Amino acid sequence: MPGLRRLYAPQRVAVRTDPQGAPTLVEGTAVEAVREEWLVEDRWWTPQPLRRHYFELATADGRSLTVFRGAGEQRWYRQRA
Amino acid sequence: MEIACVIEKRLAIPACPGRGGGPRSGHADLSDPVAAAEATDAMVRALEGIGAAVESEQFGEGFFAATGLRGLYGGDAAGVVAAAGRAVGEEWQIGVGPTRLTAFLAAAEWPRPVPVAALRTRLGVPEREAEELVEALERLGVEMLRAFNRLAADQVADRFGPLGLRALRLCRGEEEPLRPQAPREELVEEIELPEGTAGRQLDRALELLVDRLLAAPQRKGRTLLGLRLGALLSGGGSWSVEQGLGRPSAAPRVLRNVLGPRLEELPGPARTLRLQALGLGAAARDQLELEVGGAEPRRRRLRAAVREVRATQGAEALLKILPVDRSSRVPERWAMLTPYPEL
Repeated sequence: MPGLRRLYAPQRVAVRTDPQGAPTLVEGTAVEAVREEWLVEDRWWTPQPLRRHYFELATADGRSLTVFRGAGEQRWYRQRA
Repeated sequence: MEIACVIEKRLAIPACPGRGGGPRSGHADLSDPVAAAEATDAMVRALEGIGAAVESEQFGEGFFAATGLRGLYGGDAAGVVAAAGRAVGEEWQIGVGPTRLTAFLAAAEWPRPVPVAALRTRLGVPEREAEELVEALERLGVEMLRAFNRLAADQVADRFGPLGLRALRLCRGEEEPLRPQAPREELVEEIELPEGTAGRQLDRALELLVDRLLAAPQRKGRTLLGLRLGALLSGGGSWSVEQGLGRPSAAPRVLRNVLGPRLEELPGPARTLRLQALGLGAAARDQLELEVGGAEPRRRRLRAAVREVRATQGAEALLKILPVDRSSRVPERWAMLTPYPEL
């Protein structure tokens, strides 16, 4: 619809992970702790299912970040969640 | 515990007999919300007249605990139903059950076994969201409540999220206790409008209505908790909005300032404006005045601010947040940004 924009749209972010797939570095900042992680599975009944693995992180500079990776994707996104 | 449900008869008329054969469980006719609100208020008052404490959270329906009234009306639920039926009249149907849902199903005469479509108006969410859940269940072959009830809670939570879980709890009889409203005292004022009343004249009419409502002797100095502003439209039909006050108030300026912007939502010219108090609080002397708009009408100041921002930052600089799907588990579906409307 013209004039409409998404709010809270995911933004690409550079993430390095450990062998288990958990983030260790986000945009060059070390991850202090993974506070929580969860899976979101939605619209699995449609041709475009959505499956995301979310991580809520505490970074070394004291910020709290939420990032996710889509199933089967290597790209990471940052999102307010 | 026996709960009685009273619903408007036309909500129990079969809407799509070919599909499930069920009655329409829905909201009252919102093309005339004033009439629907008045009919519901009248039903609630009639039930209060027989001693019932009524919970009514949407137009066209009410719930009350039948158990406590048994002693007054013959010792059983049938006596209570008969008394309630006499009180509310033939336009309403009554059902009794151990929960709100079962009482509603009985009142609306849903067929047995009950289809999952009966959940549409029972989940406390916009009907579109409930409809999505019902359609998803039907697509998976879960067409009846008893089949849904057999699913494990973790499966339901996994596939249908919090709304599915809420529906499952409802089917299993897990409900909040009834929250009856305090008996409502009628405090309402109405004003006829000359043809073509608009703009400043309409604001003036609202001021007059507020003054009259506050001057009504039955208010007895008490504050107002909420208001319903309604209008009969010149082109037929009616319009109505409910407005909470944030904190109890009896200050005319506060009332005018919160109601003024709502007048802009009027869908067309009005011939009658009506203001009703939705609840009365403590006496005014104990209350603080809530400063909302100052001397200048809030709308005019907002309009000037919008013009200024657009002039300096461009037309696209001012956006408003449009809630889309707050219950989605995907944050980017919660809301959209849309251009701020012209004032």
